[in-house]
Amino acid sequence: MSARYGMVIDLDRCTGCGACMLACAAENNVPSLPQASARTGLTPMLVRKISNGGEGSERREAFIPILCMHCEHETPCVHVCPQQAVEVDKATGIVMQMPQRCLGCRYCMTACPYHARYFNWWDPAWPKGMEKSLNPGVAVRMRGVVEKCNLCHARLHAAKEKAAAAGKREIDPADYIPACVEACPTAAIHFGNLADPRDPVSQQSHSPDAFRLLEHLDTQPKVYYKSKEPWVRALSEPNSGPSMEAKHV
Amino acid sequence: MKVTRRDLFVWGAGAAAGMVFSPVPWKLLDDVSIWTQNWPWIPQPPHGPIEVKQSFCTLCPQGCAMKVKMAGGCPVGVAGVSGNPVTRGALCPLAFGVHQLNWHPQRLRAVRHKRVSSSWSEARAAFAKACGEGPIVIVDGRPGSAASSVLASFAEEQKGSYRVALSLETRALLPYEAMVSPVIPASALGYDLERAQTIVSFGAPLLDGWGIPGRFTRLWSERAAGMSEPQLRLIQIEDSLSRTATRAWRWVAIRPGSKNALAAGLARVLVEEHLVSARGPLSALTVSDAALQTNLSESAIRDLARTMVAKPPVLAIAGDERPEIAALNFILGSVGSPGGIVRRSKPTEKYELANAAIPNARAVLIDASVPWDYAPPTDAEIFRFAAWDGGSNRADWLLPAPGFLEEFTDVNSAPTSAVETYGVAPQLTKPMFEIHSAAQFLSAIDSSFTNPETIIHQRCADLFRERAGTVYGQEIMPVAELDSAQKFEAELSKAALWVADAPKSASLLCELKEWPSTSPAESPRNWSAAWAAAVLPPLATKLYRESSLREAPDRRTA
Amino acid sequence: MSRNSLVFGFGLAVALLAGWVAFPRALYSKRPQPVEFLHKTHAEKSGITDCAQCHAFRDDGEFAGLPANDTCAGCHSDHIGTTATEATLVDHYIKSGQETPWLVYSRQPANVWFSHAIHVRRAGLACADCHGSYGDSDQVRVYEVNRISGYSRDIWGHSMSRLDRAAGDGMKMSDCEDCHRRRGIEVGCLGCHQ
Repeated sequence: MSARYGMVIDLDRCTGCGACMLACAAENNVPSLPQASARTGLTPMLVRKISNGGEGSERREAFIPILCMHCEHETPCVHVCPQQAVEVDKATGIVMQMPQRCLGCRYCMTACPYHARYFNWWDPAWPKGMEKSLNPGVAVRMRGVVEKCNLCHARLHAAKEKAAAAGKREIDPADYIPACVEACPTAAIHFGNLADPRDPVSQQSHSPDAFRLLEHLDTQPKVYYKSKEPWVRALSEPNSGPSMEAKHV
Repeated sequence: MKVTRRDLFVWGAGAAAGMVFSPVPWKLLDDVSIWTQNWPWIPQPPHGPIEVKQSFCTLCPQGCAMKVKMAGGCPVGVAGVSGNPVTRGALCPLAFGVHQLNWHPQRLRAVRHKRVSSSWSEARAAFAKACGEGPIVIVDGRPGSAASSVLASFAEEQKGSYRVALSLETRALLPYEAMVSPVIPASALGYDLERAQTIVSFGAPLLDGWGIPGRFTRLWSERAAGMSEPQLRLIQIEDSLSRTATRAWRWVAIRPGSKNALAAGLARVLVEEHLVSARGPLSALTVSDAALQTNLSESAIRDLARTMVAKPPVLAIAGDERPEIAALNFILGSVGSPGGIVRRSKPTEKYELANAAIPNARAVLIDASVPWDYAPPTDAEIFRFAAWDGGSNRADWLLPAPGFLEEFTDVNSAPTSAVETYGVAPQLTKPMFEIHSAAQFLSAIDSSFTNPETIIHQRCADLFRERAGTVYGQEIMPVAELDSAQKFEAELSKAALWVADAPKSASLLCELKEWPSTSPAESPRNWSAAWAAAVLPPLATKLYRESSLREAPDRRTA
Repeated sequence: MSRNSLVFGFGLAVALLAGWVAFPRALYSKRPQPVEFLHKTHAEKSGITDCAQCHAFRDDGEFAGLPANDTCAGCHSDHIGTTATEATLVDHYIKSGQETPWLVYSRQPANVWFSHAIHVRRAGLACADCHGSYGDSDQVRVYEVNRISGYSRDIWGHSMSRLDRAAGDGMKMSDCEDCHRRRGIEVGCLGCHQ
C-alpha cells in the first residue's frame, strides 16, 4: 500500500513554455494578484532558466521546473515547523502542507533549500464573479500562511473516491496525474511511484542521466531531473553548477 | 439586607467559577478558531456536480481540442484531449487559464459607441444606415467557418468586400500561392512536419507557440529532444538564443536581418555543389556576400547546406512572410513533396487580405476572431466585435461578442495543418448578458441569411455524404462505418474531431521564375501576439510578473 | 451556610444558567427551510425506505448530497397534495426551474474533504452512524446556524457539553478522529483536508 510518489523531469524536453505553471495555478486556486511581483508572487510550480554562462554562439540555455521536492529524509520544513502544519505522509511520501494550521512564521521557507515554498502576502482575491471558476476540490488559502506543491492532492482525493466507488482499495494510477504532468506539451514531466520497481518513473530515476538538486544535503528529494547534457547535470553538484537565473529580477 | 462591595466580588468569583464549568469559554474558543480558518471574505469555489465536457478553444485560429471540467455548470478547469490526433493532448500555456476569461474585468458587457454606453438596437440601426450609404468591408479572422460564410455572403449581397486577417503562420505560406499552379490559397496549404526529417527554421518559433501547440512540440519531444542523433533534425537560424534555438539540434547564430542573404547563399551552395536536382533560379548574391552579411564563415554556410540535405526530406520554415525561404524550399524540392509544403484541402477561393488598403469604405465590420491589435487602414466607421475590451482601439462601436464556450460554433483545420479537419464546439456556458456574434448580428439585420447553426448542420450532412475520413471521439470511427448522418452529427456535437483521409498524392505543380528580390522588414513576435483575444487570462501573470520566465506581453494597440 | 457561600453560589448559578441555557440560544440563530420536508411522510406514504433512492451517488463516485429538483420532480412534477408546502415546492421551485435552496445541516467547511464513497461503500458505515436517525423525523428540524463560525449546529452537535451525545450527533474533526482511531485507520492531514 505504501507508495512513494515522485517525478522525473526530462530537462532536455522542457521548452520553458510555462504551461505547467498555469495548469498548477488553475488546479490549486492560486490567485494572480495585481500587486504580486516575482518576489511576492505564488508559483508552487516555477520554471527557471539556467545557462552554461557562455557568450555568443557558445551560450547554452535550458529550463528547469522547480516545485516542492518532497524530501524523504530529514525533511527540512517538517523539522522547523512549530505548528506541525507540515508532515510527510506515510502512505504516499507526499510532504503535506496544511495551510489552515500554518501560523505564518515562515521558518519553513528559510529552511527549504529549494525555495519551493511561498507566502500569502495578501488575501486571495479574484475579479468579481471569477470565484465561480475556482476548482471546487481545493480550499482557497488565506493571507498569512505558507503554501507549496501538495502534488495536486485534490486529484488524489478524486482518484481515491473513484476507486472506493468501484469497490477497490488501490487507486488506478491513470486517475492520479498532477496538473503539471498532464499539461506538459512535450511530456517532459513523468510522475509515478518510486517505490514500485516496475514503475517506469522508478526505473528512470536510476538512469545515469538522472540527478537531484543539492544531493549533498541528503534530503533525498523525490523529484529527479534528467538530462543528457553534462553542463545541465552539473546542477546536482554543490557550488559548481550552471548559473540559475535569479528568481526575481 | 444591604449589598456590600464584598458581596459583589464574591458574586463575581462565583460567576467566574461558573463560567469555567459552562460551555461559554470553550465553545467560543472553538467557534472563533473555526471562524479564523474560514474568513468570510475568502472566495469560495462553486458547489455542484462535477462533469467533464469537451470542446474547442476558439481564442486563436488553431482551435485546440480541450477537456473542460465543469462544477455546477461553471467551467473550473481545462486540460488537453489526449486522443485528439491534431493537438495530441497538448495546449498552449494560456489555455490553462481561459476558463477564467469570461469573468475578466475587461469583459465587454454592453454595446459601446465612442466609449459611451449604447444599445444593440442603436448599433443595428447605425450599421443598417451605413450599409445603405456606401460600401462596407467585413473583416474575418477565421475564414472557412460557418460564421464566415454568413459574413462573406452579407458582404457580397451589399456589394461590399470580405477580407481576411490571416494568422502569421498562414501569412508565411503566402509566397507559395504564386509558385504553385493552379493557384492554391495559403489557407489551404500546410507543412507535412510528420514526414520531414530535417527542419530548417528561419526564426519561426516552432517550439514556442507556433502553429498548433501540440503538433510540433510532441513530434520534437518524441523524435529529437535530448538526442545527439535525432530522427528529426531541427536547425534553428536566428540572431538570438530563443526558446526554440535553445532546444534545437543546431542553432545557427546569424546577424539580425540577414535571413534572406543566408537563404540565397544556401540555395547557391545547394545548386553549385549539385546537392539538389534543381538548377535555379538563384540570387545574384555570392556565397562570400552571404557570409559577409550573415557573419558566418563561407565554409559554415557550405557545411550548413550539406547538413541540410544529409537527412531528407528537408523543409525550410519561415517565421513570417518571406519569399526567399519559399524559393529555398523550391530549390530543395520541398514544395508539394512528402515532408514538405503540401496542399491540405481542395482549392478554395483566394481571400482578399485585411491589411490591403481599404478605399472609400463607409463602414468596416470586424469579427471577434480578428486579433484585437488589427487596425483597418481606413477612416470609415468601425464596428468592432470583441468579447473583451483590450484598451486603446479606435473602433467607433464596440459590440460584445460571445466569450469562452458561450457560442455554438465550428472549428476548421488549423493553419499549417497538413490534413483537413472539422470540429463543432458546443456551447457549454450560458451568456451572462446580451451578446451576439457578428454572424448573428448580420442575420438579424437581414433575415434572408442562413444562420450559422443551420450551416453547421448542413456541413455535417455534407461531410457524412462523402463517407471519407475518420471521427476521433471517445473511440476512433471511420465515417464509412457510421450508420447515419445523425450519428455523425451527434458525435461531432460532443466535440469529436473529423479528420480527412490523407491526400493520395502530395505533388503540386510549381515553378519559380526568378529569385525573389523583395525583402520585407523582419517582424519580431512576442509570445502572446498570436492570441486573438484582447486580454490574457489573469493567471498568465505567473509567467511574466510573478516570475521572470517570460517578457511581459507587448500588446500593440491601434 | 455563610452569607459569602450564598452569594458565591448565586453567582455560580447565574453563570451556569447563562452558560448552559442562555448562551446556546444566543449563539445559534434559527432559519427555516425553504420547504417543510418530512422524511417520515416520504417513508410512510411513498414507501421510500432506502436513503439512496434520493441521496444518490453519481457515476464517478461523488455523493450527490441533497437531491436536485429533478429527483423531486420524479413525483412532484405537479401538485400531489393540497398543503401550502406542496404548492411552494411545485410552483416556486420545480416549475420555475430554480433549485430549492435547502439549508444543509451537515455542510462542512471548505477545507474539509469527505468522501461518502469511501465511508459507505468501502467501510460499510450506515447513513445514521454520522447523520443520526433522520428517517423517522415527523417534524421539520430547525436549521440552526452558529453566529460566529457560520456553520450548522449539527457540526458541534445538539449536546452543548458533548458528553451525552446520541449516536450520530456531532460532526467535528475530533468525531472523525475518534472513529478513525477506534478502527485503526490513519490518514494524514490532507487525507481529510483539501
